[in-house]
Amino acid sequence: MNRSGNPAAVILYAVFFFFLAALPQAQGKMYYKRTTEQYNVPDVILINQEGKEVPLKSFLDSEKLIVLDFIYGTCTTICPILSVGFAHFQKELGPGVDRVQLVSISIDPDNDTPELMRAYLQRYGAQPGWDILTGKRDNIVAVLTEFDAYVTNKMNHFPLTILHAPGSDTWIRLDGLLSASDIMKEYNKLAK
Amino acid sequence: MLRMHFQWLLILLALVLSTGSAFSSDEPLTVSGYTPDEALKFGERMYREGILPSGKSMKAIVMGDIPVDGRMFTCDDCHQRSGLGSLEGTVITWPTNGKELYQPRRRTGAYRPPTGKRAKEGGRGTLPKYYQMENVRPAYTDSSLARLLRSGIDSAGRKLDPIMPLFRMGKKNMDILIHYLKNLSVDLSPGVDDTTLHFATVISAEVPEREKQAMLSVLQAHIDAHNSQTRHQERRSASGPFYKTEMHQAYRRLDLAVWELQGSEESWRDQLEDYYKKQPVFALLGGISTGSWQPIHTFSEDHKIPCLFPVTDLPVLSATDWYTLYFSKGYYQEGESVAKNVRAVMGSTKNSSVVQVFRQGKPGIALAEGFRQAWAGMGGATPRELVIEAKAPAGGQPALEQEDLSGVSVLLLWLGQEDETTFRRLAGQAGPNTMMFTSASLLENNFSTIPDDLRDTIHITYPYSLPDEVQKRGFVVKRWLQTRNIPLTNFTTQAKMYFLGWMLPGALKSMRSEFYRDYFVEGFDMMTDQDYAIAVYRRLTFGPGQRYASKGCYIVKLGKGPDPGLLPVNDWVTY
Repeated sequence: MNRSGNPAAVILYAVFFFFLAALPQAQGKMYYKRTTEQYNVPDVILINQEGKEVPLKSFLDSEKLIVLDFIYGTCTTICPILSVGFAHFQKELGPGVDRVQLVSISIDPDNDTPELMRAYLQRYGAQPGWDILTGKRDNIVAVLTEFDAYVTNKMNHFPLTILHAPGSDTWIRLDGLLSASDIMKEYNKLAK
Repeated sequence: MLRMHFQWLLILLALVLSTGSAFSSDEPLTVSGYTPDEALKFGERMYREGILPSGKSMKAIVMGDIPVDGRMFTCDDCHQRSGLGSLEGTVITWPTNGKELYQPRRRTGAYRPPTGKRAKEGGRGTLPKYYQMENVRPAYTDSSLARLLRSGIDSAGRKLDPIMPLFRMGKKNMDILIHYLKNLSVDLSPGVDDTTLHFATVISAEVPEREKQAMLSVLQAHIDAHNSQTRHQERRSASGPFYKTEMHQAYRRLDLAVWELQGSEESWRDQLEDYYKKQPVFALLGGISTGSWQPIHTFSEDHKIPCLFPVTDLPVLSATDWYTLYFSKGYYQEGESVAKNVRAVMGSTKNSSVVQVFRQGKPGIALAEGFRQAWAGMGGATPRELVIEAKAPAGGQPALEQEDLSGVSVLLLWLGQEDETTFRRLAGQAGPNTMMFTSASLLENNFSTIPDDLRDTIHITYPYSLPDEVQKRGFVVKRWLQTRNIPLTNFTTQAKMYFLGWMLPGALKSMRSEFYRDYFVEGFDMMTDQDYAIAVYRRLTFGPGQRYASKGCYIVKLGKGPDPGLLPVNDWVTY
């Protein structure tokens, strides 16, 4: 019995290994993954930080560029980073802030009341044009499922930012945490 | 001459000793000009609130180029109050407590050769060098820790993930923060020794014996199950495979003391202190009282003792207190839920005239306060309140019953069965469009107070799962009680304690041998939302700092017939 196995397979494994090892260097230091996706936004009613009902489908079918993420009010690690990114992005946009709608959707709807969400926005110094949406658990699950962001335990959630240009039938999905320059770079690509 | 030399020698010796003792002490005399205790307080504020001793917020850069104000998020958020770190999704946050920072960091789960006396034992205590993993990083020093906080370079010279903020702060503030970290979670919490983890449960004497036993029997059965060692934990700890030593050695037997409180609530604190002095406990489990939980809550908060899931309808309501984890906000939550429901139905809190009727006493006050505060938070006007004196006799209240309520939008009848007459008369005076609410808890689920002709009109707050839901999920609890020969005496209380026992092993296991009370509570904070093991609530949800696990309350109407069903008019959670 030849214990060394098939030489072709060994070479294939070796090539594959070196390909994987070389991948990060070839791409530079990437902290997020960019893909283009198509989503059919669920036609559900959510509630914003003012306690007002928001029909999600029409809200996201906006003339403004949409930047969307998923957070919860007492989150410890990922959401604060996403939210400081949103707050800084609004500042960087300057007068252009009116052309962008930031949307954070709660993944802990039982706890995240409009009042808590309002306090959350205040803590991050949010400007108008950044809304947090909460609502019935079933509706939230439907939204998370459509955006491929559903996890059974909210502590297992992952950083995700999704962009949508007005009138476009595709969405840009960014998996991972973004720096200020990352988010501005992605925004500029869509805002052209 | 010799005598003179001797004097000099004594002086020199005294100098050496005094200098030596000053340098050998671990505790510095001052930290950035503050006493060590002052520096700890300032450091705690920096760690938990992101505020510098000057009152200004800490400044940092995160993700390489995003400026952060310390009040947006803090060290505490990721590294947790205990400093033992956290795991959230794709992000692992390492411990930053003094014990971990100032010793080499091994890889997670990696075998660590025994030290001291055990190192010489040989046999299973040792492992060939080539099987031993290298440490991830060497121990930090004050200087390398400051470099890490400023530049993100760890003690091994590696660059940390950019999610770790890089702080912009001078030496004075840095020294204070480092002093705090060095002292964070260093010595294990009281109430634990090499073999036993000590718990207590608090029972107030006025609780009927049947209720006490309902709570205690289930809790004790869980403790007994843990101590029965179905996995032979103590034997494995002594002779199990070396690579599982750490896991097995974390096992402790559980001891549950019963702290029964006698007399008035004012005297409870002294009694608690006496019990604690005799045997310090790691945490309080369950417990039951018909009075306010305030004295026990304050005791827990002051001594930093976790108190998990007491059976009470009168918890302390606080957005910042940390150590008591309640099932719900009790009566208060029912009042709060009505406010949310009214806003949801009316679309606004404006242009609504609200009247609350309640009898002086803790339940009535809590219900009214729940509505009042939630309503005000949503921009509603202060409701008019009609109060029955605590000592007013049961039966009718002629003075109140003259009130004209025909133009009222919302009428809240927070009245028990003793005020049935007043309840009926006031309900009868309401206008055709008046929304009326009452509390199932206050009526003790006896709905005969509600006249048949008002069944369609009166809404009832119902803070538990609906009866058909309870029947389905309660089956598991009932069988569990049956197999342990525990009589079914109070299903709600027993189901609550069943749930506590269900959660406890997970929290203990995740704590490993890091027996810190804060870390124990953080284990509950990280729990998955529960709707299986809790039969009496629709759902319990958790999260860092969330201290009231039930967030919902049904609003129901009575169905038709002699044994009316409960018909919900809202979802479990209303916004």
